Amino acid sequence: MLIGVRNERVFFSVRNRRLGVRKREPNLRQGKERMHRPLLFFAVLILTAGVAWGQGPPAPDQTEQIRILLERVQQLEKRVSELETRQPVAAEPVLTAASASAVQKPESAESPASPAQAHQHESQETQAAVHQMETHYPSLQIRGFGEVNFSATDQKGTTSGFNLGQLDLHLASALSRKVSYFGEITFNASQTGYTVEVERNIIRYDYNDFFKLSFGRYHTPIGYWNTAYHHGSWLQTTIARPEMVRFGGTFIPVHFVGFLVEGNIPSGGAGLGYNVAVGNGRGTIISRPGDAGDNNNNRAWVANLYSRPAKLYGLQMGVSVYRDKITVPVIGGSPNNFREWISAAHIVYTKETPEFLAEFANVNHRNILTNLITNSQAYYVQVGYRLPWLEKSLKPYYRFEHTHMPLSEQVLTNQDLVQSILGVRYDITNYASFKSEYRNTKRLPGDPRVNGAFFQTDFTF
Amino acid sequence: MKATNKRVAAVLLIMVWLTMAVQCPSSAQTARGGDIAVVVNPDTPVNDLSLSEVRKVLLGERQYWNSKLPVTLLIRAPVARERDVVLRVIYQMSEAQFKQYWVAKIFRAEAASPPKIVYSNDMQYELVTAIPGAIAFVDARAVRPGAKVLRVDGHLPGDKNYPLR
Repeated sequence: MLIGVRNERVFFSVRNRRLGVRKREPNLRQGKERMHRPLLFFAVLILTAGVAWGQGPPAPDQTEQIRILLERVQQLEKRVSELETRQPVAAEPVLTAASASAVQKPESAESPASPAQAHQHESQETQAAVHQMETHYPSLQIRGFGEVNFSATDQKGTTSGFNLGQLDLHLASALSRKVSYFGEITFNASQTGYTVEVERNIIRYDYNDFFKLSFGRYHTPIGYWNTAYHHGSWLQTTIARPEMVRFGGTFIPVHFVGFLVEGNIPSGGAGLGYNVAVGNGRGTIISRPGDAGDNNNNRAWVANLYSRPAKLYGLQMGVSVYRDKITVPVIGGSPNNFREWISAAHIVYTKETPEFLAEFANVNHRNILTNLITNSQAYYVQVGYRLPWLEKSLKPYYRFEHTHMPLSEQVLTNQDLVQSILGVRYDITNYASFKSEYRNTKRLPGDPRVNGAFFQTDFTF
Repeated sequence: MKATNKRVAAVLLIMVWLTMAVQCPSSAQTARGGDIAVVVNPDTPVNDLSLSEVRKVLLGERQYWNSKLPVTLLIRAPVARERDVVLRVIYQMSEAQFKQYWVAKIFRAEAASPPKIVYSNDMQYELVTAIPGAIAFVDARAVRPGAKVLRVDGHLPGDKNYPLR
């Protein structure tokens, strides 16, 4: 309203000034020059009208409405102050700190006789806000992840179609300031229904940032991917995990049952951290850990050392080693025992502009009886880039994977692979994405290349 | 002729500028705000952090001030300028990336809960003074006595090279 009145005054003063100039200097301007005066006048008129547009004085009915509203506000303020003076302090409603400050300002102006009461009121509200923000134990949080997939390939004998993938429930609960529980349960679609799997089941005690001890079932801290993305495919850029860390795969032991010590290492800008774990290692079924007990008296151990340099935010480099004794049962004979030694390294840059992930692992098996040694290697390199358009919702990516196993490998079935994946991720919202991929895959030397199109929508809830 | 044209053009330009200034006062005011102070509970045993140390705290990589005092992260709700500065300078993430980061962090069992969301500087200030180990990011002009303001890279808010602005 005030701005509108002010603008109106500006408009009239400008117009009067223009008229005054015309009176004082009637003959100084000639011919075409005079034509600019109306032009200038109209320009000023249009521009000031633009300023005044929507800011002009309200219509009489609006003024009446404002007057009625102001009266109503005054009545309500009076009513509130009456109620506050009548009611005992303990019975006052709990307000947040924000609303408290908003309410108390007019009150202090109108009732200067109650500063002590206002102070008490404020401290109560602070306590209420603090109480609301406090963590209550146990504080269970549940998050779900889901996905729907479609695939079609030119491989003979396969069919195209939809599949539901995994439905994943993640549980996190602080049990005290230093003790936390984490769980992960998946429901996996199969031909006969759903299978339920406890993927992770961890209780952790934090002493400080340098020492955190936990017990349970983990994703084995070998390399990067296995402990970075877990089962919710929404978290990862691509539709599927690399073959070397595939769930149900055998190249590295994806799961681990035992205890884990982890933490930071005081190292200044190097940002060093570690994981050291001891557990059952691979079970009788080589793709599974010994959930119900080890199949030999030898414990597996794993150590992972990584660096997140402070000056290169987003970069992580690390090395891992894993040692185990594998017992492979032989029908009608004594079991074969092997020493397993896995060494791995990774370098990742996760800022998304670009994203770069590269990981390598070598799996060494030695037959304890014959001393025959085999080495298998696998690696992948993945590059992605979050495009600046469409609110940064698009992220094209490419991944190359390679796995090589010698024919003499004694523990694992052959997993030779050369694969290229070209895809794009589109983030539909902050919590759901759509991914599409083209894959070109070649397994054994004599096998044909397989081309496939894969689509996935995945989400968290 | 030319002088008149110039005069007309000048008047028009001034009017356009005035029109824009009157109609969009907020753009001029929000383009550059004050420094954002890193405020902690007075009992917190730190006075000076480097920007990368502040980042480690906010990323949940440093979760304890010492073995008896866990860090409690407080962050303003979306749209607040304090949050914008924290996301832009410290996290270097968009709002979506920030949300994804904390979902992933908890999913990896690296943290039990995300930062606590606060809806005003008053509330933030009160929580910082009440919760041991709390850290918050407050407009330096709204800092009140009672909380501890940390130096970042050796600078306090208002210093020329203060990084959080």
